Amino acid sequence: MEEKRITKENLIKLGSNWVNDGMNVYVNNGKKYTLMKLHEEDLKGFEEAPPLMSYKEIVFPKTEPILYYKKSQKEVEIIEPKIGGVKNIVIGAKPCDAKSISIMSKVFNWDYKDSFFNVRAEESVIIGMACKYNDEHCFCTSVGISPVSTDGSDLFLIPLANDNFGVRIISDKGKELISKYESYFTNGDSEESENVLSSIPIPEKKFNAENVKSWLDKNFESEFWNTTAEMCLGCSQCAFVCPVCHCFDIVDEDYSFTEGRRMKNWDACQNGLFTKHASGHNPRDKQPKRYRQRVSHKFKYYKDKFDEYLCTGCGRCSRGCPAGIDIGEIVERIDKLTN
Amino acid sequence: MTELKNLVKSLLEEGKVTKVIGYRMYGENNTKPYIAVTPNDAEEMVLNTDCRNNLSVYLTKKEIINGGKTGIVAKGCDIRNIIALIQENRIKEEDILIISAECKGVGAEKGSAVYANKCVNCSVKTPHLYHELVEMKGSELSQPKDKYTEAKEKVLAMNSGERFEYFSNMFSECIKCYACRQACPMCYCEQCIADMSIPRWIESSATDRGNLSWNMIRAFHLSGRCTGCNECERACPAEIPLSFINKLMYDTAKEEFNYESGMNKETPTLIGSYNTKDNDNFIQ
Repeated sequence: MEEKRITKENLIKLGSNWVNDGMNVYVNNGKKYTLMKLHEEDLKGFEEAPPLMSYKEIVFPKTEPILYYKKSQKEVEIIEPKIGGVKNIVIGAKPCDAKSISIMSKVFNWDYKDSFFNVRAEESVIIGMACKYNDEHCFCTSVGISPVSTDGSDLFLIPLANDNFGVRIISDKGKELISKYESYFTNGDSEESENVLSSIPIPEKKFNAENVKSWLDKNFESEFWNTTAEMCLGCSQCAFVCPVCHCFDIVDEDYSFTEGRRMKNWDACQNGLFTKHASGHNPRDKQPKRYRQRVSHKFKYYKDKFDEYLCTGCGRCSRGCPAGIDIGEIVERIDKLTN
Repeated sequence: MTELKNLVKSLLEEGKVTKVIGYRMYGENNTKPYIAVTPNDAEEMVLNTDCRNNLSVYLTKKEIINGGKTGIVAKGCDIRNIIALIQENRIKEEDILIISAECKGVGAEKGSAVYANKCVNCSVKTPHLYHELVEMKGSELSQPKDKYTEAKEKVLAMNSGERFEYFSNMFSECIKCYACRQACPMCYCEQCIADMSIPRWIESSATDRGNLSWNMIRAFHLSGRCTGCNECERACPAEIPLSFINKLMYDTAKEEFNYESGMNKETPTLIGSYNTKDNDNFIQ
């Protein structure tokens, strides 16, 4: 694997150049994937928790028009929105976030090829970074990711001594991005990088995801669900901060009697209205059923359909839950039920 | 004074309550909501300076309170919400049993050495409606920096256009997850105005317009009702300082009408009562 080296200063300068080239550059500042504007944002995140929100918005915005319409008594005119056209770059993506686009890509390309997602995904370049953070909510290794995995990254940063970074070139897209800026880099030393990577402790798996899936296969009606997330408030923050939750609602917004737009908005299965039918019937009428859906979608349905877990083990949903519900802990309990 | 665990255990054993909503430990410096149903469940119950949640929100969930008298562990600030719910006829006092304590304040967040903002100038550290009293554990905390007064002065000095822009910017980060509403004990409407679609009063899109209308309408609906527990702000994944606008409205209710929500169960609600002496200087 080709490797280069860059100083932090040059990396930020490089980001500024991309901003000047008209790209949207997001930098992990240790708390947030912040949109680079002032050209002086700091890159952190090696030892910090995953930022509060993932950056899934770059491929799946919280709200977006999918068409505009004009109507008269005789006809309806549809106007397609412009999608993409701006390159998105993320500097310092956590390995648990870097995997998100490839996981979501499966559902957005399953029967219908979703151009809203695809155009943006094609235009995104993910610069991942090794991760030294691990807390009680992290479980990336249990879902096949690791703090040093380059999966989903186009370039991969390895923090070295004295604010230097080893830069591994993972994809052609990554290679192309930096091709114009060779002067910012020096030759890499893969041995030094390798030493850093091997010094990062790889957390032990908290559960066996296959066991969890096989339990879920058989326990849709289990009593387990009634006492598992009884304190859940249905606030949905878990789905909104999740790097791979991808459910949306479609709604028409009229500007006037003759014009309007059709919007695609984030939605979440923990919200009671999510499955409420026009008739008034709600198949998921209670919170335990909604929580069962959340766990089953992540560890069974998505695996059945796309051979992938719909979870990267980032732990955001648990860290932010106002009712202290920890999906890792719950899935761990399911795993123990199988022993 | 009775030990919390023993109290909960005996309440459940004697059948005085069918369940107790309380806290249990969640890691070292954190707690989480918990329901004790059997006397054995009482073993896990705690009440300390890490009990940040306002558990009164669970009293608005039918599936939790149905089926007999409910015990609830509540700090003074949480009792204000219980009283507000009684004032608004959402719950009856005889259906609940409040277990409270002289409050030491709670930490701003996990492992924090300062109080949560809601504890600043708290007037209900001594509980004002309870049925059983226990001891609250935990270490002494220090005062956080007061950011509110300065921000309030700044906003009050703005003209209406500037205020509009100020709040538009504040709410632009909203992602419309409605975690604020779900975590709020006073947001108990069976159908929220934000979920109505015929007609749609509030754009469901997280656009600047949709975000401003949602957050403004929520603030209006909580005026004279919000007790300042700040659970909305704690739940917000977009880190919007929601307590600010709520506190502004709270102060207005206090200054203009001398009304504070959740202080006395006999007092009629601000919105539900009329007094000829009410201030009307804001009607122009």
